[in-house]
Amino acid sequence: MAAAAAAIRPMRLAALTRSRCSIFQTAYNPTSARTGAKYLRARLRGPSMVKYYTPEANIAQIMRQWPELEMRNFAEEERLQDVEDKKKRGKGAPKKAKEKGDSRRASRRR
Amino acid sequence: MPNARVLRDIKARNVVKASEVLRRAYLYVARNETLSPQVRHQAQLQLNTFGKYTRPTTVKNRCAESGRGRGIISEFALCRYQFRLKALKLELPGVRKASW
Repeated sequence: MAAAAAAIRPMRLAALTRSRCSIFQTAYNPTSARTGAKYLRARLRGPSMVKYYTPEANIAQIMRQWPELEMRNFAEEERLQDVEDKKKRGKGAPKKAKEKGDSRRASRRR
Repeated sequence: MPNARVLRDIKARNVVKASEVLRRAYLYVARNETLSPQVRHQAQLQLNTFGKYTRPTTVKNRCAESGRGRGIISEFALCRYQFRLKALKLELPGVRKASW
């Protein structure tokens, strides 16, 4: 009621803030010191980042997971058949160079 | 087979997810002004040793079809041209030509 209640002592205000923080279980930081709490408080972004691309259907994976379905990977079978045909024609992959000088690139330089 | 850049982005996303908690912990120590500067410096040095794919800034939304990095509509993971192609073929659910 008295108009002379002008300035409440800062100690009392600090005590009030401290007790309020203890009651409501919030952090007491009167000086606003940077505690790095914001890095812990923020939500994790990893799971939502990983969900951006939809996983593609992979026949090889399905064949591995459910062998009882007895699925056939036609694209792979065709590729293997092409490799066999090339070998028969003599167009198969060249032998791996064992030493440094054996490769085609090194012999081309000369 | 998706674009090479898209594969790199997928790898980055997986690594970021795996290392996120650890990174946050080190970041907290490095940015905490109530700790001693030696401890903060140690934490910052540890952070510097993390590889580039652990940093969330390496992750970029790309077009899942073409691998384009710009003009991406995140909801569909498509760049604007791929979005247009698919939308006109009615392959995107709920998307139709606007007119009002």
